[in-house]
Amino acid sequence: MVAPATLTLGPRAGFPPNQAKVPSFDRRPSFPLPPNCSHLNASSSRGSIPRLREKLYFPPLPTVRAVAVDSDQLGSSEPAQVEKPRRYYFVVANAKFMLDEEEHFKELLYERCRNFGERNREQDFWLVIEPKFLDKFPGITKRLNRPAVALVSTDEPWMTFMKLRLDRVLADNFEADNLEEALAYNSVNLNFEKPEKWTAPYPKYEFGWWEPFLPPGSSKSSS
Amino acid sequence: MAAAAAELALMKPINPISKSRKGGTLRPHSSQLRVLASSQSGATAAATATATAPKKKKSGKTEINETLLTPRFYTTDFDEMEQLFNTKINKKLNQAEFEALLNEFKTDYNQTHFVRNPEFKEAADKMQGPLRKIFVEFLERSCTAEFSGFLLYKELGRRLKKTNPVVAEIFSLMSRDEARHAGFLNKGLSDFNLALDLGFLTKARKYTFFKPKFIFYATYLSEKIGYWRYITIYRHLKANPEFQLYPIFKYFENWCQDENRHGDFFSALLKAQPQFLNDWKAKLWSRFFCLSVYVTMYLNDCQRTAFYEGLGLDTKEFDMHVIIETNRTTARIFPAVLDVENPEFKRKLDRMVEINEKLAAIGESQDIPVVKNLKRIPLIAGLVSELVAAYLMPPVESGSVDFADFEPQIVY
Repeated sequence: MVAPATLTLGPRAGFPPNQAKVPSFDRRPSFPLPPNCSHLNASSSRGSIPRLREKLYFPPLPTVRAVAVDSDQLGSSEPAQVEKPRRYYFVVANAKFMLDEEEHFKELLYERCRNFGERNREQDFWLVIEPKFLDKFPGITKRLNRPAVALVSTDEPWMTFMKLRLDRVLADNFEADNLEEALAYNSVNLNFEKPEKWTAPYPKYEFGWWEPFLPPGSSKSSS
Repeated sequence: MAAAAAELALMKPINPISKSRKGGTLRPHSSQLRVLASSQSGATAAATATATAPKKKKSGKTEINETLLTPRFYTTDFDEMEQLFNTKINKKLNQAEFEALLNEFKTDYNQTHFVRNPEFKEAADKMQGPLRKIFVEFLERSCTAEFSGFLLYKELGRRLKKTNPVVAEIFSLMSRDEARHAGFLNKGLSDFNLALDLGFLTKARKYTFFKPKFIFYATYLSEKIGYWRYITIYRHLKANPEFQLYPIFKYFENWCQDENRHGDFFSALLKAQPQFLNDWKAKLWSRFFCLSVYVTMYLNDCQRTAFYEGLGLDTKEFDMHVIIETNRTTARIFPAVLDVENPEFKRKLDRMVEINEKLAAIGESQDIPVVKNLKRIPLIAGLVSELVAAYLMPPVESGSVDFADFEPQIVY
């Protein structure tokens, strides 16, 4: 039995949460992606995915599935439609901070991924290693250790939250004609030194946990 | 608020024993817990009976409860809260952050997460003897802590509705999470044929009053330390599944993301009230709350090493990991934190544990009360001096980079 049933909750309790999200999602045209680019599928071709799926994927509630917003949206954004430029929000810091040190960051991304899977929402966030768009932000690059990693998303409120959570990141936004342009990157090898003393009673998250979130079509993350 | 995190002995961290007696706080196993209808196996019945049998007031040793620092219930100055978050009075409020947080809470990531399965009851039936007792205590304390968060957030959600509907709704959604957590833990107790009487708790427990700014510091720390405790247990058990004694720990990974987000909300509340972050008083209070929370957890956990050892953890190593990580997290918002990575800090904590054990021994001895109190005096003095010394250790300057005057040339 679901726990909340045992306690009286506020009126919000049973509210299907993504209804609130739908309007903001609807306003923007969703961009055409190859069918295999939804995060779950995209991931399934990579090593870490079966585990991700097994661990994080819960079958969606029937009521949530019935919302069926995403399929409508997909219908309205046929690939034939001309893509409009859209705004991308990002937070950026050095790669070690983003991918190696901030382990809660990994948990947040996997949680969001699971949630999008449950609610049939199309992925709208990516991790970009050494993004090309940084060239447009000299004010940021001069304060940035390299290689840098950016979290990029079209969801402005969520990025405001991510800035609040990560804190030690620089945030800004830009407009791009299409996803490919927005997520363009320079290839670079990542290599994190092992922490001098690892005192946690558990192992670190595996190198490469971020691969499911790299731009669609990007080959394995360096290394 | 997670588990032990809410066990803040904030104002009086000094002597848990005398406090729990003097304050006449409820003894969970005698009054808050009730036995569910029938128990099947003889062993179960026996264990349940020990856990719930009415205690004779005089009996010195009751195994797990005597030195218990029960999780606290909080209340605050709701009028001041209304003032602080009134958007008309307080123009500087960063509503964008609150709206972003509201969005996150509405998403309700764990809507379908807390679903039980038959494994729970099977695991509970397998647990016998002292371990069973310690698990009951763990569930009960955790449930109480989550429930205390539920009550506080629920009331704040109600009271702030008019002056700041966004902040109010976030509080309501956080109370949803806490209720869900408390309910799930209480269901866990039913595996042990027990149930916590939450209605009774609401009425009968004492409430600790904190001014709003102290609620912010205390609940921020409470949520973040709760996250670090849960994620550490989860990841440890994932790597060492042979210690997975009870399935509730499998839920901790998603569960503690709620705690972490609750902490983020208090971070945003503090940022919206820079007067609580930017002066010397704020720095002193920050250090004080860090110390209270860390010491309380350390002393509490060191009284319950059997629980952590049962999970395959070294209690002190576990606690130090949680303290160090919580402190690093807290350094992103509090203007000053403690230098917990200095080995001297742990040495001080360990000395406090020794003193606390001696205090506990006096409590359990057969001496008459006057003698007990006399014996306590030098120990309490020793504990106080350790606390003061820990408090006065050179702190670490910190804070959000949004107010980065502590390090203007910061490179990311």
